[in-house]
Amino acid sequence: MSGNAIALTIVIIMFAVVTLVGFAAARWRQAEDRLHLNEWGLGGRGFGIFITWFLLGGDIYTAYTFIAVPALVYAVGALGFFAVPYTIIVFPIVFVFAPRLWSVSRVHGYVTPADFVRGRYGSHGLALAVAVTGILATMPYIALQLVGIQAVLTVLGVHGDWPLIIAFVVLAGYTWVSGLRAPALIAFIKDTLIYVMIIVAIIYIPEKLGGWSHIFSNAGTHLAQINPKTGKPFGSLTVGPTAVWAYASLALGSALALFIYPHAVTGVLASRRRYAIRFNTAILPAYTLMLGFVALLGYMALAAPGVPQAVKANGANAQLAVPFLFQKMFPPWFAGVAYSAIIIGALVPAAIMSIAAANLFTRNIYKEYFNPDATPAQQTRVAQAVSLIVKLGALIFVLALSKTFSINLQLLGGIWILQTFPAIVIGLYTRWFHHWALIAGWAVAMAYGTIVAYGTPAAGVPGSHFGASTANVPGFNHTVYIALTALVINLVVAAVLTGVFRLAKLPAGADETLPSHYHADPPGLRRPRVPITRMTVGSPDPNGRPPVRHGR
Amino acid sequence: MAQHRAPRKHVGTWIVITVLLAAAVIGTLWVPFYNHLTPALGGFPFFYWYQLMWVPIVAILAAVAYLLSRLAHRGQAVNGQSADNDMRGEG
Repeated sequence: MSGNAIALTIVIIMFAVVTLVGFAAARWRQAEDRLHLNEWGLGGRGFGIFITWFLLGGDIYTAYTFIAVPALVYAVGALGFFAVPYTIIVFPIVFVFAPRLWSVSRVHGYVTPADFVRGRYGSHGLALAVAVTGILATMPYIALQLVGIQAVLTVLGVHGDWPLIIAFVVLAGYTWVSGLRAPALIAFIKDTLIYVMIIVAIIYIPEKLGGWSHIFSNAGTHLAQINPKTGKPFGSLTVGPTAVWAYASLALGSALALFIYPHAVTGVLASRRRYAIRFNTAILPAYTLMLGFVALLGYMALAAPGVPQAVKANGANAQLAVPFLFQKMFPPWFAGVAYSAIIIGALVPAAIMSIAAANLFTRNIYKEYFNPDATPAQQTRVAQAVSLIVKLGALIFVLALSKTFSINLQLLGGIWILQTFPAIVIGLYTRWFHHWALIAGWAVAMAYGTIVAYGTPAAGVPGSHFGASTANVPGFNHTVYIALTALVINLVVAAVLTGVFRLAKLPAGADETLPSHYHADPPGLRRPRVPITRMTVGSPDPNGRPPVRHGR
Repeated sequence: MAQHRAPRKHVGTWIVITVLLAAAVIGTLWVPFYNHLTPALGGFPFFYWYQLMWVPIVAILAAVAYLLSRLAHRGQAVNGQSADNDMRGEG
């Protein structure tokens, strides 16, 4: 067998194992009320510290980490390292606001961020805006996972779309059957594989390449070469003077955005206790350390003999850098293990993301506008179907957008999702903003962000679209992550209009939450075998619906 | 929204927590502070080892902040109010 055949065989075996586990997960920690959306969509809200850690890790560290970030480091150098400060500062941010979201959601039985917004502002319009944004922003993020899987398969010599389609049919199948339990259980396998892969990679590869200083100096030499397309060096080992703002704003914007993605909210809400979330901010940085070293695989790829040549021969697709590095450095069987880690590491978050987007659609669009009397079983069926549609939507992003830098898919999602920050996160603290002002701010910022992102060409390819996620800010003369610029516009519009609407005495909607709800810590009942509805404090309705709303 | 705010007994604790968490944010977002190659450590240019060093630091800061928040919480529960409808300022 050739090296690739051995690696491919291992990938197929691992994939089969994961598939079996995925279907078996339906029976794991099962409750009586299996068809309730709390069950399918939040795993029964019963996950402890340890599983929450795996689940949130699975959310955060995805093909983004293993393919997109090292690809950017490989191609432009230090700028790609912004993912490290991003995944550092995200934890203080989560520490502060996530427990409040957990508490208020537990008291009122909220399953999605849009549920919270609807209850807090008494506004259907704002909840719809949050739901639609969540679904939209999730799609390019899932698309990034697809691009990651495709990169591995390309290096394995598997071309065409059919392997991708098989992978997605299976993924859709066990997501359908097992809901959130499937990715939560597979996350154990995934993380074990990934930790093994990283530890081996950061010890074994630098050893083979002659040490870290050799890798850095070699990478620096590569990056200093002149890019014929732009007439400037490809990049450097530190952030260039014009990119300092881009670096910091990409980190800050991404960190603010991460935990308002529907899938990250799902991970937070599935936690059994309030303190489990804060505890996790102390142990999740283990993943960040891993991400930092994985980012440096980009430099190892630059320094490894044969890898830059192989990437160049495949259309200079930087996403192939890490898979080629593994192919050239590892014995075939271990390359197979590493590829499996990357593929499973893309599938798990793709499942979690599609479930979260499906929850949003079901709760905040289907039940709200199409079938207000939907039974829990009907809701679960709709969510199952939508999780499939969301994955198909992601395929469109894969086909329609440039794949030069797959990280732009995630950053595009960030531009959109960050515009729900005022309604969700600021809403956790104050209800000062008027809900119509928040809708207006959101609309202006979404339009601004989308138009600017569309108008930004890829480096050296004039006339292309969605080519980068940073743009010059007029009057400021720095390049800044578009998401952050749009957020500032969003807040200014919302603040000004709030003033106007208050003067005009426009009625503010009813708020069903109380200050104490943001600190509540009702204990979860011991799992399993207790119908979920009994532990949803403050939700007397046996269907688990939020309590009666006032003033509508 | 009528609310009766009990006096904040743990303001000091929450200030400490805020300072701990803010340190991590500022230390990693202030790019000019670490945007150079030297001094290198173990072959890593400063830019890289400085930022990687912040990862264990943020874990420790978050752990301390977590313990402090638990202490503050316990103090509130002891003060005769059940944790479930605790109104005092946290987070």
